Amino acid sequence: MPAYIDLNVHAYPETETPAEDLLRVAKRYGFAQIAITNDDSHVLQECSLDDLILGVEIQAQTVTELKRKLRQFGGKGIVIAVHGGDEKINRAAVENPKVDILTHPYSEKGESALSYVLVRFAAENGVAIDFNMDALIQSRRGERARILSKMREQLKLVRKYKAPMILTSHAHSIYDLRAPRELIALAALFGMTGEEALRALSETPRGVVAKRWKKEGEVEVLGWRE
Amino acid sequence: MARIMADFLFCLLCMVYTPPTLRERRRYLRFEVLCERHVDKRAVLKEIWDSLYALYGDLGASESKLWLIEYHPTEDGTRGVGIIRCAHNRVEEVRAALACIHVIDTARIGIRVVKTSGTIKGATK
Repeated sequence: MPAYIDLNVHAYPETETPAEDLLRVAKRYGFAQIAITNDDSHVLQECSLDDLILGVEIQAQTVTELKRKLRQFGGKGIVIAVHGGDEKINRAAVENPKVDILTHPYSEKGESALSYVLVRFAAENGVAIDFNMDALIQSRRGERARILSKMREQLKLVRKYKAPMILTSHAHSIYDLRAPRELIALAALFGMTGEEALRALSETPRGVVAKRWKKEGEVEVLGWRE
Repeated sequence: MARIMADFLFCLLCMVYTPPTLRERRRYLRFEVLCERHVDKRAVLKEIWDSLYALYGDLGASESKLWLIEYHPTEDGTRGVGIIRCAHNRVEEVRAALACIHVIDTARIGIRVVKTSGTIKGATK
Protein backbone atom coordinates (compact mmCIF):
# COMPACT_ATOMS: atom_id res chain seq x y z
CA MET A 1 0.00 0.00 0.00
CA PRO A 2 1.43 3.40 -0.93
CA ALA A 3 1.86 6.04 1.74
CA TYR A 4 -1.11 8.36 1.23
CA ILE A 5 -0.78 12.03 2.11
CA ASP A 6 -3.53 14.62 2.39
CA LEU A 7 -1.98 18.02 1.82
CA ASN A 8 -4.89 20.31 2.63
CA VAL A 9 -6.43 19.98 6.06
CA HIS A 10 -7.48 22.86 8.28
CA ALA A 11 -7.21 22.50 12.04
CA TYR A 12 -7.29 24.46 15.28
CA PRO A 13 -6.80 27.47 15.64
CA GLU A 14 -8.57 28.14 12.31
CA THR A 15 -11.26 25.57 12.99
CA GLU A 16 -12.47 23.95 16.20
CA THR A 17 -10.88 20.56 15.62
CA PRO A 18 -7.39 19.99 17.03
CA ALA A 19 -4.79 18.61 14.64
CA GLU A 20 -4.32 15.49 16.79
CA ASP A 21 -7.94 14.41 16.27
CA LEU A 22 -7.69 14.94 12.51
CA LEU A 23 -4.49 12.93 12.34
CA ARG A 24 -6.02 10.11 14.40
CA VAL A 25 -9.01 9.82 12.04
CA ALA A 26 -6.83 10.20 8.94
CA LYS A 27 -4.56 7.41 10.17
CA ARG A 28 -7.61 5.23 10.71
CA TYR A 29 -8.68 5.98 7.13
CA GLY A 30 -5.30 4.88 5.81
CA PHE A 31 -3.34 8.11 5.44
CA ALA A 32 0.32 8.09 6.40
CA GLN A 33 0.60 11.85 6.86
CA ILE A 34 -1.53 14.97 6.69
CA ALA A 35 -0.51 18.59 6.19
CA ILE A 36 -2.16 21.30 8.24
CA THR A 37 -2.58 24.26 5.93
CA ASN A 38 -4.43 26.85 7.97
CA ASP A 39 -5.03 30.28 6.54
CA ASP A 40 -2.22 32.77 7.03
CA SER A 41 -3.66 34.50 10.10
CA HIS A 42 -4.12 31.23 12.04
CA VAL A 43 -0.95 29.30 11.26
CA LEU A 44 -0.20 26.25 13.37
CA GLN A 45 3.28 27.13 14.59
CA GLU A 46 4.55 23.87 15.97
CA CYS A 47 3.54 20.31 16.56
CA SER A 48 4.92 17.37 18.45
CA LEU A 49 3.64 14.70 16.10
CA ASP A 50 5.87 13.24 13.41
CA ASP A 51 3.20 12.64 10.80
CA LEU A 52 1.92 16.19 10.73
CA ILE A 53 3.33 18.40 8.02
CA LEU A 54 3.21 22.10 8.73
CA GLY A 55 1.90 24.39 6.07
CA VAL A 56 0.07 27.59 5.32
CA GLU A 57 -2.66 28.58 2.91
CA ILE A 58 -2.08 32.15 1.83
CA GLN A 59 -5.17 34.25 1.18
CA ALA A 60 -4.49 37.36 -0.79
CA GLN A 61 -6.66 39.96 -2.48
CA THR A 62 -3.93 41.56 -4.53
CA VAL A 63 -0.69 40.42 -6.10
CA THR A 64 1.39 42.74 -3.87
CA GLU A 65 -0.24 41.24 -0.78
CA LEU A 66 0.54 37.77 -2.07
CA LYS A 67 4.18 38.64 -2.68
CA ARG A 68 4.52 40.19 0.77
CA LYS A 69 3.06 37.09 2.40
CA LEU A 70 5.28 34.81 0.33
CA ARG A 71 8.30 36.71 1.62
CA GLN A 72 6.97 36.34 5.14
CA PHE A 73 6.45 32.56 4.97
CA GLY A 74 9.11 31.59 2.45
CA GLY A 75 12.26 29.87 3.60
CA LYS A 76 10.71 28.44 6.76
CA GLY A 77 10.53 24.97 5.30
CA ILE A 78 6.74 24.75 5.46
CA VAL A 79 4.37 23.79 2.67
CA ILE A 80 3.07 26.95 1.03
CA ALA A 81 -0.34 26.78 -0.59
CA VAL A 82 -2.02 29.74 -2.23
CA HIS A 83 -5.78 30.17 -2.25
CA GLY A 84 -6.43 30.93 -5.90
CA GLY A 85 -9.60 31.82 -7.73
CA ASP A 86 -8.84 35.27 -8.99
CA GLU A 87 -7.14 35.27 -12.37
CA LYS A 88 -4.31 37.58 -11.25
CA ILE A 89 -3.66 35.67 -8.04
CA ASN A 90 -3.58 32.37 -9.97
CA ARG A 91 -1.05 33.81 -12.36
CA ALA A 92 1.18 35.28 -9.66
CA ALA A 93 1.09 31.96 -7.78
CA VAL A 94 2.06 29.67 -10.66
CA GLU A 95 4.81 32.05 -11.77
CA ASN A 96 6.50 31.87 -8.40
CA PRO A 97 8.58 28.77 -7.64
CA LYS A 98 8.32 29.49 -3.90
CA VAL A 99 4.69 28.38 -4.06
CA ASP A 100 4.12 24.65 -3.57
CA ILE A 101 0.39 24.28 -4.13
CA LEU A 102 -2.34 26.30 -5.84
CA THR A 103 -5.70 25.48 -4.24
CA HIS A 104 -9.20 26.30 -5.48
CA PRO A 105 -7.96 27.62 -8.84
CA TYR A 106 -11.40 27.70 -10.43
CA SER A 107 -12.97 31.10 -9.96
CA GLU A 108 -16.31 31.62 -8.30
CA LYS A 109 -17.66 33.70 -11.15
CA GLY A 110 -17.86 30.96 -13.73
CA GLU A 111 -15.16 32.13 -16.10
CA SER A 112 -12.62 29.55 -17.20
CA ALA A 113 -10.31 28.28 -14.50
CA LEU A 114 -6.68 27.96 -15.44
CA SER A 115 -5.70 28.78 -18.97
CA TYR A 116 -3.12 26.60 -20.68
CA VAL A 117 -0.50 29.31 -20.14
CA LEU A 118 -0.92 29.11 -16.39
CA VAL A 119 -0.81 25.32 -16.33
CA ARG A 120 2.40 25.42 -18.33
CA PHE A 121 3.91 27.83 -15.81
CA ALA A 122 2.77 25.54 -13.00
CA ALA A 123 4.54 22.62 -14.66
CA GLU A 124 7.73 24.64 -15.10
CA ASN A 125 7.80 25.98 -11.56
CA GLY A 126 6.66 22.79 -9.86
CA VAL A 127 3.48 24.30 -8.45
CA ALA A 128 1.05 21.48 -7.73
CA ILE A 129 -2.54 22.00 -8.87
CA ASP A 130 -4.91 21.02 -6.12
CA PHE A 131 -8.18 19.19 -6.85
CA ASN A 132 -10.31 19.81 -3.77
CA MET A 133 -12.75 16.98 -3.32
CA ASP A 134 -14.73 18.84 -0.67
CA ALA A 135 -16.10 21.03 -3.48
CA LEU A 136 -17.79 17.90 -4.87
CA ILE A 137 -18.88 16.62 -1.46
CA GLN A 138 -20.42 19.80 -0.11
CA SER A 139 -22.16 21.08 -3.24
CA ARG A 140 -25.17 19.77 -5.12
CA ARG A 141 -26.89 20.16 -8.50
CA GLY A 142 -25.91 23.16 -10.61
CA GLU A 143 -23.00 24.13 -8.43
CA ARG A 144 -21.52 20.63 -8.50
CA ALA A 145 -22.09 20.29 -12.24
CA ARG A 146 -20.16 23.51 -12.76
CA ILE A 147 -17.28 22.37 -10.56
CA LEU A 148 -17.14 18.95 -12.23
CA SER A 149 -16.89 20.45 -15.71
CA LYS A 150 -14.21 22.88 -14.47
CA MET A 151 -12.20 20.02 -13.03
CA ARG A 152 -12.52 18.01 -16.21
CA GLU A 153 -11.28 20.96 -18.24
CA GLN A 154 -8.41 21.50 -15.84
CA LEU A 155 -7.44 17.83 -15.81
CA LYS A 156 -7.07 17.89 -19.58
CA LEU A 157 -4.56 20.74 -19.40
CA VAL A 158 -2.72 19.28 -16.44
CA ARG A 159 -2.30 16.02 -18.36
CA LYS A 160 -1.05 17.81 -21.44
CA TYR A 161 1.64 19.86 -19.71
CA LYS A 162 2.40 17.22 -17.06
CA ALA A 163 1.94 19.65 -14.19
CA PRO A 164 1.97 18.04 -10.75
CA MET A 165 -1.54 17.51 -9.39
CA ILE A 166 -2.73 16.48 -5.97
CA LEU A 167 -6.02 15.28 -4.52
CA THR A 168 -6.99 16.70 -1.16
CA SER A 169 -10.00 16.70 1.14
CA HIS A 170 -9.73 20.34 2.30
CA ALA A 171 -11.22 19.08 5.56
CA HIS A 172 -12.22 21.47 8.32
CA SER A 173 -13.35 18.78 10.76
CA ILE A 174 -13.03 15.03 11.22
CA TYR A 175 -16.35 14.60 9.40
CA ASP A 176 -14.95 16.17 6.23
CA LEU A 177 -12.09 13.69 5.90
CA ARG A 178 -12.49 10.93 3.34
CA ALA A 179 -10.46 7.75 2.93
CA PRO A 180 -8.06 7.48 -0.06
CA ARG A 181 -10.24 4.97 -1.90
CA GLU A 182 -13.22 7.31 -1.60
CA LEU A 183 -11.19 10.24 -2.92
CA ILE A 184 -10.12 8.09 -5.87
CA ALA A 185 -13.76 7.18 -6.57
CA LEU A 186 -14.69 10.87 -6.43
CA ALA A 187 -11.84 11.77 -8.78
CA ALA A 188 -13.14 9.19 -11.24
CA LEU A 189 -16.29 11.32 -11.54
CA PHE A 190 -14.44 13.91 -13.59
CA GLY A 191 -12.39 11.44 -15.56
CA MET A 192 -9.24 10.93 -13.53
CA THR A 193 -7.96 7.39 -13.94
CA GLY A 194 -7.23 5.23 -10.91
CA GLU A 195 -3.52 5.33 -11.59
CA GLU A 196 -3.40 9.12 -11.84
CA ALA A 197 -5.46 9.49 -8.69
CA LEU A 198 -3.18 7.11 -6.83
CA ARG A 199 -0.17 9.16 -7.85
CA ALA A 200 -1.96 12.37 -6.91
CA LEU A 201 -2.47 10.98 -3.40
CA SER A 202 0.91 9.43 -2.70
CA GLU A 203 3.86 10.15 -4.94
CA THR A 204 3.14 13.76 -5.95
CA PRO A 205 2.35 15.03 -2.43
CA ARG A 206 5.53 13.39 -1.19
CA GLY A 207 7.44 15.21 -3.91
CA VAL A 208 5.73 18.47 -2.99
CA VAL A 209 6.80 18.13 0.62
CA ALA A 210 10.36 17.29 -0.43
CA LYS A 211 10.21 20.11 -3.04
CA ARG A 212 11.48 17.61 -5.57
CA TRP A 213 10.34 19.57 -8.61
CA LYS A 214 12.03 22.76 -7.56
CA LYS A 215 15.25 23.02 -9.48
CA GLU A 216 18.36 24.54 -7.95
CA GLY A 217 18.57 28.26 -8.54
CA GLU A 218 15.10 28.35 -10.06
CA VAL A 219 14.56 31.83 -8.66
CA GLU A 220 17.54 33.22 -10.56
CA VAL A 221 16.39 31.63 -13.78
CA LEU A 222 13.05 33.33 -13.35
CA GLY A 223 14.71 36.66 -12.67
CA TRP A 224 16.65 36.30 -15.87
CA ARG A 225 13.49 35.66 -17.82
CA GLU A 226 11.89 38.85 -16.55
CA MET B 1 -28.04 -12.91 11.65
CA ALA B 2 -31.62 -13.96 12.43
CA ARG B 3 -32.79 -11.39 9.94
CA ILE B 4 -30.63 -12.87 7.22
CA MET B 5 -31.89 -16.36 8.02
CA ALA B 6 -35.47 -15.11 7.81
CA ASP B 7 -34.77 -13.50 4.45
CA PHE B 8 -33.24 -16.71 3.22
CA LEU B 9 -36.25 -18.80 4.26
CA PHE B 10 -38.57 -16.25 2.70
CA CYS B 11 -36.68 -16.55 -0.58
CA LEU B 12 -36.90 -20.32 -0.45
CA LEU B 13 -40.63 -20.28 0.15
CA CYS B 14 -41.82 -17.58 -2.19
CA MET B 15 -39.46 -17.23 -5.07
CA VAL B 16 -38.84 -19.28 -8.11
CA TYR B 17 -35.43 -20.91 -8.01
CA THR B 18 -32.91 -19.07 -10.21
CA PRO B 19 -29.92 -21.03 -11.42
CA PRO B 20 -26.58 -19.58 -10.25
CA THR B 21 -25.56 -18.52 -13.76
CA LEU B 22 -28.65 -16.36 -14.14
CA ARG B 23 -28.42 -14.70 -10.76
CA GLU B 24 -27.46 -11.07 -10.50
CA ARG B 25 -23.87 -10.58 -9.50
CA ARG B 26 -23.68 -8.52 -6.38
CA ARG B 27 -21.21 -6.86 -4.10
CA TYR B 28 -21.71 -6.24 -0.45
CA LEU B 29 -20.05 -3.14 0.95
CA ARG B 30 -19.46 -2.76 4.64
CA PHE B 31 -19.32 0.92 5.49
CA GLU B 32 -18.52 2.89 8.57
CA VAL B 33 -20.17 6.17 9.49
CA LEU B 34 -18.54 8.75 11.72
CA CYS B 35 -21.28 11.01 13.01
CA GLU B 36 -21.78 14.00 15.23
CA ARG B 37 -24.79 12.48 16.96
CA HIS B 38 -27.11 9.49 16.68
CA VAL B 39 -28.74 8.95 13.27
CA ASP B 40 -31.17 6.12 12.58
CA LYS B 41 -31.23 3.57 9.79
CA ARG B 42 -34.11 5.18 7.93
CA ALA B 43 -32.31 8.54 7.70
CA VAL B 44 -29.09 6.87 6.52
CA LEU B 45 -30.93 4.94 3.80
CA LYS B 46 -32.75 8.06 2.63
CA GLU B 47 -29.53 10.02 2.46
CA ILE B 48 -27.72 7.28 0.51
CA TRP B 49 -30.50 7.20 -2.08
CA ASP B 50 -30.65 10.99 -2.26
CA SER B 51 -26.94 11.15 -2.87
CA LEU B 52 -27.14 8.47 -5.55
CA TYR B 53 -30.01 10.27 -7.31
CA ALA B 54 -28.22 13.60 -7.08
CA LEU B 55 -25.04 12.20 -8.58
CA TYR B 56 -26.30 9.82 -11.28
CA GLY B 57 -29.97 10.62 -11.77
CA ASP B 58 -32.81 8.09 -11.80
CA LEU B 59 -31.30 6.07 -14.62
CA GLY B 60 -27.88 5.68 -13.06
CA ALA B 61 -29.36 4.98 -9.64
CA SER B 62 -31.48 2.17 -11.07
CA GLU B 63 -28.39 0.48 -12.48
CA SER B 64 -26.64 0.33 -9.13
CA LYS B 65 -29.42 -1.84 -7.59
CA LEU B 66 -28.76 -0.51 -4.15
CA TRP B 67 -30.14 -2.20 -1.04
CA LEU B 68 -29.41 -1.50 2.58
CA ILE B 69 -28.93 -4.81 4.35
CA GLU B 70 -28.29 -3.55 7.84
CA TYR B 71 -27.19 -0.54 9.81
CA HIS B 72 -26.23 -0.44 13.45
CA PRO B 73 -25.37 2.77 15.25
CA THR B 74 -23.13 2.36 18.29
CA GLU B 75 -24.35 3.06 21.82
CA ASP B 76 -22.94 6.57 22.06
CA GLY B 77 -24.07 7.40 18.53
CA THR B 78 -20.73 8.67 17.25
CA ARG B 79 -20.28 5.73 14.94
CA GLY B 80 -22.31 3.36 12.86
CA VAL B 81 -21.61 0.29 10.81
CA GLY B 82 -23.74 -0.98 7.96
CA ILE B 83 -23.81 -3.20 4.92
CA ILE B 84 -25.25 -2.26 1.55
CA ARG B 85 -25.66 -4.37 -1.52
CA CYS B 86 -25.08 -3.17 -5.07
CA ALA B 87 -24.48 -4.49 -8.56
CA HIS B 88 -20.97 -5.92 -8.94
CA ASN B 89 -19.92 -3.44 -11.63
CA ARG B 90 -21.19 -0.36 -9.81
CA VAL B 91 -19.00 -0.49 -6.72
CA GLU B 92 -16.93 2.62 -7.52
CA GLU B 93 -20.03 4.63 -8.41
CA VAL B 94 -21.71 3.68 -5.14
CA ARG B 95 -18.50 4.45 -3.29
CA ALA B 96 -18.45 7.95 -4.78
CA ALA B 97 -22.10 8.47 -3.88
CA LEU B 98 -21.41 7.37 -0.30
CA ALA B 99 -18.41 9.70 -0.08
CA CYS B 100 -20.61 12.62 -1.16
CA ILE B 101 -22.84 12.32 1.88
CA HIS B 102 -21.83 14.96 4.39
CA VAL B 103 -24.97 15.69 6.39
CA ILE B 104 -27.71 13.42 7.71
CA ASP B 105 -30.54 15.13 9.62
CA THR B 106 -28.34 18.21 10.14
CA ALA B 107 -25.66 16.07 11.81
CA ARG B 108 -22.32 16.20 10.04
CA ILE B 109 -21.04 12.78 9.04
CA GLY B 110 -18.23 11.09 7.17
CA ILE B 111 -18.57 7.72 5.46
CA ARG B 112 -15.97 5.28 4.33
CA VAL B 113 -16.22 1.82 2.83
CA VAL B 114 -14.31 -0.64 4.96
CA LYS B 115 -14.68 -3.78 2.92
CA THR B 116 -16.24 -5.11 -0.25
CA SER B 117 -17.18 -8.72 -0.73
CA GLY B 118 -19.27 -10.99 -2.89
CA THR B 119 -21.13 -12.42 0.07
CA ILE B 120 -22.75 -10.99 3.17
CA LYS B 121 -20.67 -13.35 5.25
CA GLY B 122 -17.47 -12.04 3.74
CA ALA B 123 -18.49 -8.45 4.34
CA THR B 124 -19.41 -9.11 7.97
CA LYS B 125 -16.09 -10.67 8.89
